[in-house]
Amino acid sequence: MNKVTIDPITRLEGHGKIEIFLNDEGGVENAYLQIPELRGFERFCEGRPVEEMPRITERICGV
Amino acid sequence: MTKLKLALYWASSCGGCEIAVLDTNEKILDVVAIADIVLWPVAVDFKYHHIEAMPDSAIDVCLFNGAIRSSEHEKVAKLLRAKSKVMAAFGSCACFGGIPSLGNLTNRAEIFHTVYEEAPSNENPSRTVPKTATTVDGHHLELPETYDTVMTLEQVVPVEYFIPGCPPTVDLILKVVSALANNSLPPPGTVIASDKSLCEECYRKKEDKKITRVWRPHQIVPDPEKCLLEQGVICCGPATRGGCGALCIKANMPCEGCFGPPAGVLDQGAKLVSAIASIYQASGEEDVSRMLDEIVDPVGRFYRFGLAHSLLRRKRMTPPGTLSAAKQPLAEVTAR
Repeated sequence: MNKVTIDPITRLEGHGKIEIFLNDEGGVENAYLQIPELRGFERFCEGRPVEEMPRITERICGV
Repeated sequence: MTKLKLALYWASSCGGCEIAVLDTNEKILDVVAIADIVLWPVAVDFKYHHIEAMPDSAIDVCLFNGAIRSSEHEKVAKLLRAKSKVMAAFGSCACFGGIPSLGNLTNRAEIFHTVYEEAPSNENPSRTVPKTATTVDGHHLELPETYDTVMTLEQVVPVEYFIPGCPPTVDLILKVVSALANNSLPPPGTVIASDKSLCEECYRKKEDKKITRVWRPHQIVPDPEKCLLEQGVICCGPATRGGCGALCIKANMPCEGCFGPPAGVLDQGAKLVSAIASIYQASGEEDVSRMLDEIVDPVGRFYRFGLAHSLLRRKRMTPPGTLSAAKQPLAEVTAR
């Protein structure tokens, strides 16, 4: 089976990869959008003082 | 004149460094006048295979932003290093680990648990967490490995220049562009900012180097003319490299430390601890204990942008053996 990989996805903010699996006729059988990116803000914000949140969470997305 | 080949890449980052490049406004035309962009995922459509197909050292300069958080970041850093004559760590995350390196106070298993199993917005009864390889409907899919420990760019590849800031200021970016245009880059190893501490370029009056308590932001409205640290507000200025023009200070906010340690300072947090300890008026153990209570979250305050680059590097991994070890042992940390 043929596979088309788009890596990385471009012209957007964020990281991504697309895998498209083709059937024998060349049509799309399945396509997967993968996000190969995780920083863990949900975890490392826990327990930090409230005044740190505007400083830290604005760095989730700088766009 | 042959145009330079320029690559811009983001690893573990927020995209703010890309926006800082765009904040140069019409000066961005100076960049495209001297350089062809061969990779810049946010703005132009080139794929990794285009870079892989290039001969080694085909790229003149790579501005690499973001920390190294996963095997993909490390792989692309090594690929771009091989293809680039000059590698520059662009922004605090690439230089020092940045905010993402606060993740070094935890580890992959804890992050996955919180993000995929505990987060109240998730519906995940099968408790699925990311795997490096999986098969779905007969299709083999792969994801990069998320590391336990966030690293700086220099911890995975040799780096010629460091352009600090969260994000680097437009002035610094234009300085780099001008150096590229005139072929006048400084000696390798240079941090493109001031060599001195932020205090050297801070306009505030410094008079009485004595404090009797530390205030949190909601407890005090600081005098906009006086040194913040002398008012008992923790300002990272004494332990932070200048070059930003004291942007946060002008907004009556303390320096957050995003430019990393100044020249000659090995550990930003230790330097700041030393600065605070030298002005805090403590006459006994009781005062010291009160001071420690007043400084909430010391590691987050003192290493906000630079835990990966610091001597501490990360929280100790426990229990040993149950989680994959940090990429490099602490003993291998060397000073720049």
